[in-house]
Amino acid sequence: MQDLSLHILDIIENSARASSQLIDITIGIDEIKNVISIEINDDGTGMDQQTLENAQNPFYTSKSERQKKVGLGIPLFKQNAEWCNGMFLMTSVINEGTSLKAEFQYDHIDRMPLGNVQDTMIGSILGHSDIDFNIRLYHIHKHNEMSEFVLDTRIIKSELGDIPITWPDVIQYLNETLNEGIKNIKLEEF
Amino acid sequence: MKTLADLKAIREKAQQEMKLRNSNVRVKVIVGMGTSGIAMGARDVMKAFLDEVATRSLTDVVVTQTGEKGFSSMEPVVDVIEEGKPGVTYGNMTADKARKVVVEHLVNGNPVKEFIISTEK
Repeated sequence: MQDLSLHILDIIENSARASSQLIDITIGIDEIKNVISIEINDDGTGMDQQTLENAQNPFYTSKSERQKKVGLGIPLFKQNAEWCNGMFLMTSVINEGTSLKAEFQYDHIDRMPLGNVQDTMIGSILGHSDIDFNIRLYHIHKHNEMSEFVLDTRIIKSELGDIPITWPDVIQYLNETLNEGIKNIKLEEF
Repeated sequence: MKTLADLKAIREKAQQEMKLRNSNVRVKVIVGMGTSGIAMGARDVMKAFLDEVATRSLTDVVVTQTGEKGFSSMEPVVDVIEEGKPGVTYGNMTADKARKVVVEHLVNGNPVKEFIISTEK
């Protein structure tokens, strides 16, 4: 993966595959604490302790043996976080969901760029139109002022009524909303 | 700044359009978004399909995504499933190839043979 936004997309795919109905995503830069933090919580099937440990092991995958023998998504993300003086924590409860938190030292020389958060979000929202996404992006600047952007597809879907979220004009709306939001909080250049 | 009022306008316009044309889903585009797909550029492919659907107002096309399918060496992989026709799988996709598939396959109904890696029997 070339950047953090691709890792985020990969993690969201795991949540989607675990039959989640709501995925909460928080991505933030805190320049004062010198941290980039990524949190993804889902209400999917969850994992038992053994599976949770296995998921962080590069030689494990939840997919059947014949199809695929290794699952590198989570181990690579974890490695990248730990490499950058950060942390990685995954917790899970069967039938309740899984939570993942990763932190990266913001100015670490090896930290990957944040990448294109807009495309990750638009792809996830529209690629899984039956799942709701509650997205919060924030940026705490050097002088302590905080800006944030929130997008909740539950509100959008209730406003749309019987029009699907995948409708062409809605795709355009989401694109513009995310683009403006990310620019407003200056999250695009990291 | 985009607001919820904009959504209301979109909804009203869409309801009018739905009355005028058949808004049933005619084509499903499924982008493989597993770890290897993502690493090979599946997100750009997804975005290209979404942008084309939006700008061309293709109301009868739905773009969605799925996990790994076992074509890892040919990622990014995209399935196009058209009503009443055998499904087609495209491999080694890029954003440019996706745009070509939209024009030739989704709009004009001619699958792009040189990108196909498998056809449903």
